[in-house]
Amino acid sequence: MKDSPQTVIVVDDDDAVRNSLRMLLKSAGINAEVSASAQDYLASYDATQGGCLLLDVRMPGMSGLELQQELNMRGATIPVIFITGNGDIPMAVEAMQHGAFDFLQKPFRDQDLLDRVQRALSRDTENRSRLRHTDRIRERLASLSPREREVLNLVTQGKANKMVASDLGVSQRTVEIHRAHVMQKMEASSLAELVRMMMTIAPP
Amino acid sequence: MAGSKQNFDDAATDGGSTRVRTIIVAGQSSQRTRDVLRALSGFQNVVWPTTLESALAQSSAADAACLVIADDLKEEPLDEFLQEARDRHRNLPIFVITDPDDVAEAVSAMRHGATAVIEIPPSYATLCDEVTRATR
Repeated sequence: MKDSPQTVIVVDDDDAVRNSLRMLLKSAGINAEVSASAQDYLASYDATQGGCLLLDVRMPGMSGLELQQELNMRGATIPVIFITGNGDIPMAVEAMQHGAFDFLQKPFRDQDLLDRVQRALSRDTENRSRLRHTDRIRERLASLSPREREVLNLVTQGKANKMVASDLGVSQRTVEIHRAHVMQKMEASSLAELVRMMMTIAPP
Repeated sequence: MAGSKQNFDDAATDGGSTRVRTIIVAGQSSQRTRDVLRALSGFQNVVWPTTLESALAQSSAADAACLVIADDLKEEPLDEFLQEARDRHRNLPIFVITDPDDVAEAVSAMRHGATAVIEIPPSYATLCDEVTRATR
């Protein structure tokens, strides 16, 4: 996952709206790019690019809501702010139920939009940091041998070495050695930390 | 639709016995709250707490099907009440009633944990559908 500067991408079929939003964002020191349609955006979609989306709800071809659902199917975490001139409650509820960060009706004050964009960018930073953390834990997990993985599963269930040895049909000394390897490979300083790591990647 | 009487099948079958789940309608005594209560009059077990604490307490009951926030409670703004209800009852369906076309309030309610926002009038049928789903 790259750490390039965050970019706000404006997806709107209206030239004037796209350009005015890009100028507004740039005037606030925010990187901005534009796409004239949902299809154009998807053609250049980069899951590793941090930022947020400013998305028009009604566009010819694929609508903003359809684009949001496509991004959800792709596992995208980029925050989406919808902008619309003629939104209604069912539309706003649908967008929010599908994970929209915000839903803004025109006309709006420039500062309101900029405040929302800043919050969305902060959310994106948090999301990406969390993803990087879980990726690191998964990488460490993948480095364990099958036996070490078995030991990890049993000790994080709260079983003592003696019980783990009995469950696996090996000596207690062997369990101790595997357990030490698990702690080292997982870079865990305590059993509690190991449990927290497992809960991070597979919440109860 | 408000005022018409219709019976809804809000009884859930549990291991052979039938239990009626509670629908909690929170809101002060306003026209909107009364309209919501009238719209839900076909359900068997609708309760109407008028204070924040009693609404939250009744939402804790094991047989609570859903919480319908019909209107503000005097003690607390909607968003704060909603946030508190969501924090205490993670899986409880919470429906918020708003005035028609108040998109900003709907978005805010969704951000604070509402399951859905329903505008009344005109969506009495939507409300009854959502509540029927929640009781099952």
